[in-house]
Amino acid sequence: MKFTTTKEQEDLRKRVREFAEKEIKPIAFRLDQENQFPQEQIRRFGELGLMGIPFPKEYGGMGGDVLSYAIAVEELSRVDGGTGVILSAHVSLGSWPIFAFGTEEQKKKYLIPLAKGEKIGAFGLTEPNAGSDAGGTETTAVLEGDHYVLNGGKIFITNAPYADTYVVFASTDPQSGTRGISAFIVEKGMKGFTFGTHYDKLGIRSSSTAELIFQDVRVPKENLLGKEGQGFKIAMATLDGGRIGIAAQALGIAQGAYEESLTYAKERVQFGKPIAQQQSVSFKLAEMALKLRNARLLVYSAAELKEHHEPYGKEAAMAKLYASEAGLEIVNDAVQIHGGTGYLKGMPVERAYRDMKITTIYEGTNEIQRVVIASSIIGRPPKKKAVRRQGTSITGERKKMIFKGDVKEAVAQLVEALKKDGHDFTVGIPIDTPISEAERVVSVGKGIGDQKNMKLIEELARQAGAAIGSSRPVAEELRYVPIERYVGMSGQTFRGNLYIACGISGAGQHLKGIKEATTIVAINNNPNAAIFKNADYGIVGNLEDVLPLLAKALNCGEKQPAPAMKKMKRPFILKSAPEHARYICNGCGYEYDQDFGDPENEIDPGTAFDQLPEEWICPECGEDKSSFIKVE
Amino acid sequence: MHCVRKVCEDLYWVGGNDHRLALFENIFPLPKGVSYNSYLLMDEKTVLFDTVDWDVCRQMLENIRHVLQDRPLDYLVVNHMEPDHCEGIEELLLRYPDLQVISTEKSFLLMRQFNYPIDGRTIEVKEGDTMRFGRHTIAFVQAPMVHWPEVMVSYDTTNGVLFSADAFGSFGALDGKLFNDEVDFDRDWLDEARRYYTNIVGKYGAHVQAIMAKAAGLDIRYICPLHGPVWRSDFDYLFDKYQRWSTYTPETDGVVIVYASMYGNTESVAQTLAAKLTEKGVRHVAVRDVSNTHFSDLIADVFRYSHIIFASVTYNLGIYPLMHNLLIDMKALNVQKRICGIIENGSWAPKAGSLIHTFLDEEMKQMSILNTELTVVSSLRPDKEGELDALAEGIVDTMGKGADA
Repeated sequence: MKFTTTKEQEDLRKRVREFAEKEIKPIAFRLDQENQFPQEQIRRFGELGLMGIPFPKEYGGMGGDVLSYAIAVEELSRVDGGTGVILSAHVSLGSWPIFAFGTEEQKKKYLIPLAKGEKIGAFGLTEPNAGSDAGGTETTAVLEGDHYVLNGGKIFITNAPYADTYVVFASTDPQSGTRGISAFIVEKGMKGFTFGTHYDKLGIRSSSTAELIFQDVRVPKENLLGKEGQGFKIAMATLDGGRIGIAAQALGIAQGAYEESLTYAKERVQFGKPIAQQQSVSFKLAEMALKLRNARLLVYSAAELKEHHEPYGKEAAMAKLYASEAGLEIVNDAVQIHGGTGYLKGMPVERAYRDMKITTIYEGTNEIQRVVIASSIIGRPPKKKAVRRQGTSITGERKKMIFKGDVKEAVAQLVEALKKDGHDFTVGIPIDTPISEAERVVSVGKGIGDQKNMKLIEELARQAGAAIGSSRPVAEELRYVPIERYVGMSGQTFRGNLYIACGISGAGQHLKGIKEATTIVAINNNPNAAIFKNADYGIVGNLEDVLPLLAKALNCGEKQPAPAMKKMKRPFILKSAPEHARYICNGCGYEYDQDFGDPENEIDPGTAFDQLPEEWICPECGEDKSSFIKVE
Repeated sequence: MHCVRKVCEDLYWVGGNDHRLALFENIFPLPKGVSYNSYLLMDEKTVLFDTVDWDVCRQMLENIRHVLQDRPLDYLVVNHMEPDHCEGIEELLLRYPDLQVISTEKSFLLMRQFNYPIDGRTIEVKEGDTMRFGRHTIAFVQAPMVHWPEVMVSYDTTNGVLFSADAFGSFGALDGKLFNDEVDFDRDWLDEARRYYTNIVGKYGAHVQAIMAKAAGLDIRYICPLHGPVWRSDFDYLFDKYQRWSTYTPETDGVVIVYASMYGNTESVAQTLAAKLTEKGVRHVAVRDVSNTHFSDLIADVFRYSHIIFASVTYNLGIYPLMHNLLIDMKALNVQKRICGIIENGSWAPKAGSLIHTFLDEEMKQMSILNTELTVVSSLRPDKEGELDALAEGIVDTMGKGADA
């Protein structure tokens, strides 16, 4: 065994490196600064046949091996970590599941253009409540005739919104946890499929990351990938392979930072000699080289195992875990070797330092990699899932009263409810009152659309006697309002009495910033937007229709200056009964509550009574299932 | 001397009353005593329905002998195998050598566990079985967990007598009376009936609902429970109470303020709140000191009222022990669907309120907590009056808005 790559693999490395040096490296700094996706460069990369390296030629691929693909990711990442992950997400996540689990028709229709690089692929698994724990998937797919109707959303999706084809995971049987998840191929442009926030990230800024929103998206039945309920299996298998890609990305970023450091250390002279000759620096370089060789052998051997269809899950996890953690140490030393220079924008090591961090987080956090490795050594730990309680919204108990019917009527009902709660619209505060001091805020989200619509917000704020706030993207990306006016976990916290959210979908981080609001009003055209589950009152409708009517209804002449804010008490909300039935044992009175399951007997929380196995017996007295009565 | 009352044609009450027992189940005080009801059917065969506690066993034996005259006792129906109704079994088996015991499989299992010599003398019945004793035919209906799992009720299809076991029973000795129309039930018995139901059967609301659904199809003329008066009229009144208790629906739109006070300061808050509520027109306001009110009375109160206010001092960085016990017992008895208010007191680190809040939220069902949670530091001072008023307003505003109250 020689542990070297083949000539073909090295030839491919050469080709990719040439492309990367010529096409990516010169613009990498700009892409990073401007948060820009290298669309044109990726198109050319595809034309070279490099977007489909590990797929057979009959499906438009290059017919190369897994290791060649890993080398390509490594080489792109060597000059720009962001570009590296575009390829990794496209091949491992967006295309591979179709190759591995797709029907012949699906492969012809979707895999071929992906492998040829004519289209870009992406993968949608993560949700606000389902990250490392996919069992929490809340996006649903309901079969209606020839279509599945998808509702919900995904967050942190690499390559969105530039990708054309998305492998999306949704629950077809919400009662069954991970066993109820199914995979679908969703095309950009399908009705109701839109994109939310484009995230402003610490690193890998040339890659695009966005939210997916599904609102009654009708996906043809034939786009079900695999069978119903196989989604979790497909996701896990895909992530196993994806880890090789991310490991290769980490390896490439570290390799680039190492090379930069070596060159710099040989050039930079202090105390009369290059710093590379100083023992402290030379030791750093030695350790960097050592870690790189370790990482490379792990990554390449995992790729080879996959290529030869041997079990590789544990080895891919080891490669991803090690390459990313050693990589973080390497980029840290790289900046250190560069000294003050390395701390400056424009220096590749500065960018590598930021780019590297994500590799310990995505494709399964490194903590999850340890779980994967440990469970493959020790066996699965006994199941003990955290209790998952349904129905609690991030902003606490809210009235969730949605006014339906025609807009005018809904607005009238809303205003009446607000006045009844004690909001006095004869007084108001200046619209530039700081959010943290404001009694009322009219807040604007991306649903506002064009900047000219901001005058609707300003008018509503004036008539509501409120200050203006926004969601993060409106301040940060669109810049419709100053950055210090966005509300959320990372922005300002609103503690006043009335919060009117206009066109805000309700990302978790935004909702955390309005938990203390006395009354939350949601106006949005997507009835499934999370904001409605976190609001006291809501109107489903277009902002252009609702806002002018609401402003008019609140208008009661010149506002008097508001007196010092008196914090109004949150409305009292009567707790509602659980949505599922409870069952009680005739033998002892033990109550089966699916919120808790029966962990001692390996029944997961969330298991409905009628889905308990037939052999399940009362954990307290041993009566069988038939001896339970339903609580009516 | 025998002490017997005739229930209806062929049927006699042959039980006993006890004022000497201090604690029922060695836990519940009996200020008005308790009755143990046993009924003897004189048909072509003689049939005794349940026996009594050992303390009044000799009285029962004398009563039976008097009613039987020289006839033998043929059958004993055991609807409920709890010792307060079974202590006579062994003695009867000895005295009446041909006596056979009719009960459920689970009941016989328990009898063997309690060492009753029943082998060879058992007749096992199941749901829907009937037995004819002459003019009277008795149908047996399972009523699991209407207190214990082996329970059944027996229904005389001939004259509409329902032997209801622990259901529809009450604390309180009969003292000569037998029927509900011989007492002022609402005035003299309801509180003890509620305390009996809520503490003994309160947890098993769903099972009580199940047996009430079965009973709804029967033409009931008499209800003969194992404790308390026999019902022969005003069934709607009784069923309404049971419907509410078994669905955890309040009986009364009103407030019970339970306080835990070491030196009277928390008591003062409770009293002030009670006064404010009464001033605001709340008609039913009960104030209870958790330290000197037996928990069984408190359980009866929390089943009764729509609103519960917990006012507790902080004790060892926790909830005052007796208040904590009350919460644990409320959870055990499945108390739910109440509107709750919380007042905490503490002199250096008030904690009781947040702990009570968490307990209500996480350990119990549908306990809705009013937004104003008052924290008192040592004693109530004027600057807190606004919050106390807000709490009172919250109570008044939500009066009548509880679950189905």
